[in-house]
Amino acid sequence: MDLTKDYFSNLGLPCGYQIDLAALADSHRQLQQAHHPDRFAASGEAEQRQAVQTASYLNQAYGVLRSPLKRAIYLLELQGMEPLAPTNTSMPMDFLLQQMQLRERMEELPAAADVEAEIEQLADELLAMHKQLQTDFAAAYEASQLPAAEVVVRKLQFIEKLQQECNDLEGRLLD
Amino acid sequence: MALLQIAEPGQSAKPHQRKLAVGIDLGTTHSLVATVRSGRAETLADSKGTHLLPSVVRYRADELPQVGTKALQHLVDDAANTIMSVKRLMGRGLQDVTRLGEQMPYIFEACESGMPMLRTAAGLKSPVQVSADILRVLAQRGEASLGGDLVGAVITVPAYFDDAQRQATKDAATLSGIQVLRLLNEPTAAAVAYGLDNEQESTIAVFDLGGGTFDISILRMQKGVFEVLSTGGDSALGGDDFDHAIANWVCDQRNIQNLELAQQRFLLRQARQAKEQLSDTAVTTITFADWPETSCPADIELTREQLNSLLDPVIAKTLRATKKALRDAGMTIDDINQVVMVGGSTRVIRVQEKVAALFGRPPLTSIDPDRVVALGAARQADVLVGNQTGDEMLLLDVLPLSLGLETMGGLVEKVIDRNTPIPVARAQEFTTYQDGQVAMAIHVLQGERDLVQDCRSLARFELRGIPPMAAGAAKVRVTFQVDADGLLEVGARELTSGVATTVQVKPSYGLSENEIADMIKASWSNVDADRGARSLREQQVEADRLLASITIAMEADGERLLNENERQAIIKQMETLIVARNGDDHHAIAKQIDILAKATDTFAGRRMDDSIKRALAGKAVDNI
Repeated sequence: MDLTKDYFSNLGLPCGYQIDLAALADSHRQLQQAHHPDRFAASGEAEQRQAVQTASYLNQAYGVLRSPLKRAIYLLELQGMEPLAPTNTSMPMDFLLQQMQLRERMEELPAAADVEAEIEQLADELLAMHKQLQTDFAAAYEASQLPAAEVVVRKLQFIEKLQQECNDLEGRLLD
Repeated sequence: MALLQIAEPGQSAKPHQRKLAVGIDLGTTHSLVATVRSGRAETLADSKGTHLLPSVVRYRADELPQVGTKALQHLVDDAANTIMSVKRLMGRGLQDVTRLGEQMPYIFEACESGMPMLRTAAGLKSPVQVSADILRVLAQRGEASLGGDLVGAVITVPAYFDDAQRQATKDAATLSGIQVLRLLNEPTAAAVAYGLDNEQESTIAVFDLGGGTFDISILRMQKGVFEVLSTGGDSALGGDDFDHAIANWVCDQRNIQNLELAQQRFLLRQARQAKEQLSDTAVTTITFADWPETSCPADIELTREQLNSLLDPVIAKTLRATKKALRDAGMTIDDINQVVMVGGSTRVIRVQEKVAALFGRPPLTSIDPDRVVALGAARQADVLVGNQTGDEMLLLDVLPLSLGLETMGGLVEKVIDRNTPIPVARAQEFTTYQDGQVAMAIHVLQGERDLVQDCRSLARFELRGIPPMAAGAAKVRVTFQVDADGLLEVGARELTSGVATTVQVKPSYGLSENEIADMIKASWSNVDADRGARSLREQQVEADRLLASITIAMEADGERLLNENERQAIIKQMETLIVARNGDDHHAIAKQIDILAKATDTFAGRRMDDSIKRALAGKAVDNI
């Protein structure tokens, strides 16, 4: 396996945003079966080292391709872009407003009458927004509108952060 | 290629010679060794037919150490030379150990590396050496049972063991002459023991409740690959808490106060017996027949119902940790197809009932919970030496605790998050903080909290020879490589000059098991405190940076470019900032930083003009 090649070619998948997750999992499993250090438990140190490197690469590749956000970032990076560069911060005003409203809702949530239902409602909405953004990214990327795709990536990152916070909040409130 | 094989008649070389490998469960109270024979995993007994080896070693002058039952007999009469529960000392520093030492009758001494040594009749012994003596007995038992030299062994460790504890375990095996095929997490081993015949895809929860620790792991099994999705737990929670809850209830019922040590032990023993009896009967009697005092309280009846109400609060904690592990894995209760029970405390009926109620299905209990870990390890060992052919089993584990680096102000920047699949390699870039900085100290930490002091320090090393540059210009790339055993190697390289250094992380000190679990737990309960602490440190760093740059500017140009009043105003404001910086209100620091920055605006402007003037001085207008 040539570890300098991109994740898609090494995992035998077509390079694009739409991805067959089952095929990805299968491919990762098969490659780990062949390259994992456990397959070289009785071999020399050099082979062990090589196996650790290959297995690390495969875990990294699997983690990136499986995640809708990381996959999007990776595709743009393959095009020589830096969607999350610290200088890259411009966002549409309506999206920022929506973010602030969602954040306010989350802050007021612990005081709600039916906390569980409210959290669920919020989580569902975030999930729907996340799905929509994935569709938006695929459309922009396939049409080679890379600056537009970049904005979608930053939106996705915002939403994932909110999802994480919503999840943490659920853990704290419902325990 | 061999064209001829010459062998004695009747002893012809077998076409498929099996390699001898064992699985070892190196436990806190007892250890086990197991192997796979004729396709079946089984634990191996000593010459007297006993399977469990007490994890106890007794050292004597000029004689070989006694290990197991023989050593156990001298626990009271030769306490200082009879070492038990050594697993709790593995990978710890003297400081951590002396804290535990209050409950341990051993004499500790420091050695050069900082590793704690136990003083015994046979000289100084490190916890690694004591563990090696236990492992040696188990390996010998394996060789005697199997009739040949072992190729290697799989040794199990708790899922929450950090880098230091794993490294110490591996060192002990090396010391005892065992080739370690793999360190395997105990819950993963248990899942393997149950999961092998299962060809279909399933998601498994492993519920491991021991005497003093609780571990929960979520795994997915698909086509022979076991993938750990998350691990969690509480290493200060276990069956001992059940006994304490019962004993406390008895004390309340009979109005017993100020227990002496002997009475406490008596009560805990009675509590444990009652707990075990109530697995079979609906009601039991706690008697005070041998109560170590003259006035003996009346016997007391304990029903299973009453017992359940005493155990439920403890069990509820395990269920909370279970739900958290499910969330970490991105799973819900409905996704779990199988629940595996490990550890002696899962024999308690109430635990089984509650776990069954949570998951909506009865847990698997058909394999002895004390042996299931060793049996799974034996399976894995058999695969690793290549005795299985065809569709081989593969275990993909995760990192139990996050790894990170110390950054300015005593903060930890995470480089690899917990529950990341291993092996894993990550790199992170850092930059210099001061002009002309030529060295960088790198401090590697493990844990979930934001501050260095709350995480475990794994290693410190220095990258020297960085070419002097302006602050922020040198780029140092730090790489982490974690192997399949969960062991870490760290390297650092300055990118413009190529100066590099690599260390195998070999820590010599550590912290208690409780602290590790607390580190995970606390990262939840202290989220708010951490956020405040982080803001405070950030503002303090910012304040220091500003104060340092103004001090330098004042020394260089203060006399020349400022009059006395202006100079005094700036110095006064610097003093105000220093006072705020040493306080703990990050808002106040931010405010004073702002004021000081504004107060020095004019000074900064004059310095700029001055440097331009000087750059132009003495040059003809035509040359500009």
